[in-house]
Amino acid sequence: MYVIKNGLVYSMTESAPFEADILVGDSGKIEAVGKDISADCEIIDAAGCAVVPGLVDAHSHIGGVQMETEDLNECTKPCTPEVDSYYGIDPKSRDFEVAIRCGITTSCLIPGSGNVIGGWGMVMKSNPGTIAERVIRRPVCLKAATGINPKGMYSKNKQMPMTRMGIAFLLRDYLRQVREYMEKKETAAGDPEKMPKFDLGLEHGIPVLEKKIPLKVHTYMHDMVTVVEIAKEFDIEVTIDHAQGASDFYDVLTDSHVRGVIFGPISAGLFPGEGGKIDFECCKGLDDRGVRVTVMTDGPVTPENLLIYQAGEAVRKGMDPVRALRMITMNAAEMLYADSRVGSLEAGKDADILIYEALPTKYVAANLKMTMINGKVLYRA
Amino acid sequence: MIIKNGRIHDGKGKVFPADLRLNDGKIAEIAEHIDAPDEEVFDASGMEILPGFIQTLSFWGINGSSTEIRPSSNDNDELSDPITPQLDVKYAFNGRAATVQQLGAFGLTTVGVTPTDNNLFGGTMAVFEVDGVNPFAMCVKPCVGMKASVCKKLKDSYGKRNVAPQTKMWIFEQLSEQLRLASEYKIEKDKPRDMKLEAIKRVVDGELPLFVSTDTEQDALFVADIVKPYEKLRLVLCNGFGLTAESGWLVENGIPLVVRSSSMTMDDIAMALDLKGIAALADKGLEVALSGVDSSFQMREDVLWLGIAMMKIMKDESKVLPMMTSIPAKLLSVDDVTGSIEAGKRADLVLWSANPLETYEAEIVATYMGGRVIYRKGDELRCM
Repeated sequence: MYVIKNGLVYSMTESAPFEADILVGDSGKIEAVGKDISADCEIIDAAGCAVVPGLVDAHSHIGGVQMETEDLNECTKPCTPEVDSYYGIDPKSRDFEVAIRCGITTSCLIPGSGNVIGGWGMVMKSNPGTIAERVIRRPVCLKAATGINPKGMYSKNKQMPMTRMGIAFLLRDYLRQVREYMEKKETAAGDPEKMPKFDLGLEHGIPVLEKKIPLKVHTYMHDMVTVVEIAKEFDIEVTIDHAQGASDFYDVLTDSHVRGVIFGPISAGLFPGEGGKIDFECCKGLDDRGVRVTVMTDGPVTPENLLIYQAGEAVRKGMDPVRALRMITMNAAEMLYADSRVGSLEAGKDADILIYEALPTKYVAANLKMTMINGKVLYRA
Repeated sequence: MIIKNGRIHDGKGKVFPADLRLNDGKIAEIAEHIDAPDEEVFDASGMEILPGFIQTLSFWGINGSSTEIRPSSNDNDELSDPITPQLDVKYAFNGRAATVQQLGAFGLTTVGVTPTDNNLFGGTMAVFEVDGVNPFAMCVKPCVGMKASVCKKLKDSYGKRNVAPQTKMWIFEQLSEQLRLASEYKIEKDKPRDMKLEAIKRVVDGELPLFVSTDTEQDALFVADIVKPYEKLRLVLCNGFGLTAESGWLVENGIPLVVRSSSMTMDDIAMALDLKGIAALADKGLEVALSGVDSSFQMREDVLWLGIAMMKIMKDESKVLPMMTSIPAKLLSVDDVTGSIEAGKRADLVLWSANPLETYEAEIVATYMGGRVIYRKGDELRCM
């Protein structure tokens, strides 16, 4: 049990910060946020500091990809909906310790982008413990990818998809098969004789067609038009991940089938083709238009500490610093259906709490002083 | 023209309000108040005026002219031979490839361009402006350093095709041997010339500094030891991976450091970058330049983001801004022309709405390169 005293609380339930204390219970939940809370327990002094929710990274591969190991790209065929990132993650990876030091308390961990359909993703906390203890939502999405990654992967073997035409076909064809599979199951009405043969890959697509989870699509520039067209056609939700060039397509991205846009990370200058536009201004542009938007690390492709830097670049391009903090907390939590647990500081939520020297999406030199997950202090500067 | 009422951050640690008079691409005058009724006036009230950032070791001008997801033309990467000191990066630089990146919109006005870390001796480096077409017209200064490397990348580039080097043994033996041969080399009538040794001899004679990339502190120690007999040789260590607050030998020997980073956390070598340790060395007098990613996946934000990372540690702009401006200029031998806001220097200036080493709300209002506006707030950021 702790009381975090006298901090400037960016709760994400209010648009402006306020001075308050936070009571953290032994259950690992926030018990109260308010003035002058006292309790017989350890006091953490946050006077003069910013108290913010644990950061949520909406697109990451930490624990599943390292220099010598690759457990999130099953590139033996272009569509592998049947696999599940749950089995590709090493919960003891050092990357989770790095995440804690960088304030990332929750990540959406997903298959890579080598395949058009990559498999299921899940939401997992960074705290030590078994994978089963730490997963807070599984599945949370079905990963898909467009553009140069799947093209590059299969062009080597002269196998479809070598083109964007092939990618659009494979995406659509998979969703068609899932729909027909569901129809057959429904027609069978529980009669084992009439049931279609069990197909795990198609089973994994059912929650997508039922709009329980989105298709999470690695998408740059003009590919987002293709993705939204397919989303409308099958009436499914999609998230547009990476999303470089999103500022060219506001009219497309405001469609209700777009659950969210997850921008970044930047890890290069401009380069021809899908790397041809880098537009942090889309964060404000989408936010102003009511589209849920966040940024990502894509960890460990870029380092975990860059989540804040990218939110900072969105601020440089006009976004309010508190909205930028909301992007990497509540917006991401909502996109991941995890907002009942994480993303804001309010009674009943997981006590995933950070103390910074100052608002980190505004003040560049603001250091992280403490990371708490589930009411346990896991890092102190 | 006159830039009035701005706050100057001179790049050498001083911050003060002043007016600037620009003339012929240079800073002609800095004074509390300059009045010249006949000249154009830009009112910079409320603005912070910083020198343009200088990226010491970059691949700008080499990136961006190839095919999709291949960001590099590889023209600074002559992999036919690990020893190519006779080559000059000036001939790799494509003006349009640099210009299209709009580096001015990210606060950069000047870049050091270098051969890769894949050769033991890669060739000579040069300093370029960031906006233009004709690469030679954009060249601020050629032959500012000889780029060398003792990194694992050499082994990856050659050893795998069964060509030396396969080991660090070869790398250090050849570094030592090439310097020895160059120091003994003389141009003799009727004898064929050795262009490689002639190039290295210039380094041994101290005509230009030797920039050596390393993976670990031990690499750096070996390099420092090998160059020691050559009194005129000026060593600059690059990368900084594995150096810590305990690496005081750098300070004692007056060896400057160019810090690079990796965008890839999968890279264990680059993950050993200890910025806190390097900051501690800087406090003891180590000259540090902040550069950026050591690959063609460099970002336009590299220098600024490394500066921000350093601000989190040092909390002192008067120490960090020089690492992004005047120290890179000094290491690249262009400190007589740029890297700080002083009368007589090139007008390489960036007008910010706030201090970028303080807040992310800092936006660029205008970037001047040699007195010419290359970016103004509201200009469309280009697309490839």
